[in-house]
Amino acid sequence: MKEVVVHPERCVGCMQCMAACAAAHSRSKNLFLASLETPRPRARVHVGVGLYNEGFPNRCRHCDPTPCLLACLPGAISRNAEKNTVFIDPNRCINCASCAMACPFGVIRYHEDFMAPPGKTVAVKCDNCYERQLAGLIPACVEVCKSGALSFEEKADAMKRKTDEVARSVSAGVAQVDLAPGFTLLNAIKRQQIELAR
Amino acid sequence: MGREATMSYVILGNGVAGVHAAETIRQLDPNGKITMISDEVFPPYCRPMISMVLEGSVPPEKLPIRPSSFYEEFKIEPVLGNRVSAVDVDHRAVSVNGKGYPYDKLLIATGADPRRIKADGLELKNIFFMRTETHVRQMLSTLPTIRKALVLGGGLVGFKASYGLLRRGIQVIMLIRSGYPLSMQVDSEAGRMIWDELKAHGLDVRLGVEATAFEGKDTVSRAHLSDGSFLPCDMVVIGKGVFPARGFIPKEKIKVDAGIVVDEHMETSAPGVFAAGDVAECIDIARKTPWVNAIWPEAVAQGRIAGMNMAGRRTAYKGSLSRNVIRIFGMDVMTAGLITPPEAEGFDILKVTDSRAKTYRKLVFRGDRLVGIVMVNAIEQGGVLMALIQSETPIKLPREALLKPSFNFKQLMQM
Repeated sequence: MKEVVVHPERCVGCMQCMAACAAAHSRSKNLFLASLETPRPRARVHVGVGLYNEGFPNRCRHCDPTPCLLACLPGAISRNAEKNTVFIDPNRCINCASCAMACPFGVIRYHEDFMAPPGKTVAVKCDNCYERQLAGLIPACVEVCKSGALSFEEKADAMKRKTDEVARSVSAGVAQVDLAPGFTLLNAIKRQQIELAR
Repeated sequence: MGREATMSYVILGNGVAGVHAAETIRQLDPNGKITMISDEVFPPYCRPMISMVLEGSVPPEKLPIRPSSFYEEFKIEPVLGNRVSAVDVDHRAVSVNGKGYPYDKLLIATGADPRRIKADGLELKNIFFMRTETHVRQMLSTLPTIRKALVLGGGLVGFKASYGLLRRGIQVIMLIRSGYPLSMQVDSEAGRMIWDELKAHGLDVRLGVEATAFEGKDTVSRAHLSDGSFLPCDMVVIGKGVFPARGFIPKEKIKVDAGIVVDEHMETSAPGVFAAGDVAECIDIARKTPWVNAIWPEAVAQGRIAGMNMAGRRTAYKGSLSRNVIRIFGMDVMTAGLITPPEAEGFDILKVTDSRAKTYRKLVFRGDRLVGIVMVNAIEQGGVLMALIQSETPIKLPREALLKPSFNFKQLMQM
């Protein structure tokens, strides 16, 4: 099963994943029409800033065991084993924020959603673009990511690649292998600018 | 396999701790015999949601957290309608209504009962506790005749009762003995903000008083207050907290403090006897002392850990942590851990108030570890901070960074 993998060292903080996510979770599924919808579609992936203004796409880890599921009072949160995805049922959610208290990553938001009963504020988070996946598409955030900070692949493949990268970095005669040279340079410049400004 | 004797598990209580324990046991031991004993006959349900039934926003049929086929599906024998009367630790059996049930492993997950108050006239009608689905059903049946209600206690139950009754168009007066509402959950500053919010929404809250007696003909019609005054009322709701339901425990056999004392495996001082949920007392991560944290997420976690250990998988629990999230009208309040630490014991406190944005945030540190948080409004990152308390992570970031709106998980990755 393919899953979304985050590569934080490659994120430039462009936030295109957020726009794509909001559009994918709208009535029209179109960015321009989505911006005119009520309730306004919102992103389920949240780009945060690090200490040196570098970006980080913070999204639901679909943890197992699932802290939000265990904390959910009305039993609105469930796990889909086939897609390894944690869902929130907007019809059962009572907007009590118990899941916000339980989520160690801070990825749950509370707002109206076109999937929820009209006028009702509900807990909202990433659903791994379940509908898109059923239609044969990959998650919207991965599709739109241009810097390779998000990928959709077999977890085992991603881990193998990372293991190889680490192994190569300690090979004899290798000083340091830069895994993402362009981003390292960019981040180094940003870092300098911020430290100078302090 | 199949040679081993079948284990016999008895679970006292069908609340959320008991349910999670039963499910965990069944996952690990498909053949064991599980018996669940409870005085409540309603299917396992969400207790915190009963106030929404009172309010009318959730119908009673949405309360159950498991389908009616739960007992059958998990091959559990339910024994409902009566409380357990005694535990015989030496002969490994419990008795209910005169009938004995032997066990190999016993879980005490009997929860807590509403704390009683001392006052005259408590036998009058229309004086309620609000703890179970039955209580709320009784309250609902009297509502058409009610115009003025008195709510005793400024805790979560008192709040939820007041809010529900207000939404039903009933005039509510809240009596709070302490100096500010939710004094068990929040500090005085957040308490004041909550009080302002309540007043702004028309709730009549009286601080520093309590009811001493009730009078009326059959049903309650008037309350005497500790300041010598009287209040007319035709309904009283008592929300003075809860107390572990452990009256049937033989104290000479099982160690009892405020709750039933358990070790990191949720096992009591009697081998093979476990406790979880509102009745159990285990080490508190923030306080570093045994504590009863009678909250839903703790009951879930402790029920699971107890279930694993009962089924033979030795699993340790790090400890409990008090926490709560409360939504009052337009205000979100989240608290966790130790929020009003004893003075002069090496705690540092960091506070940020923004009166215009109506936010207030407070962090409590012991050395380089975060041990408590209070957040009023903007609570989304609260879970991240709570995870820092639970994992006892040394905080290497500048402390102020944790309070900035830009704080997020990424900043922790570089610690």
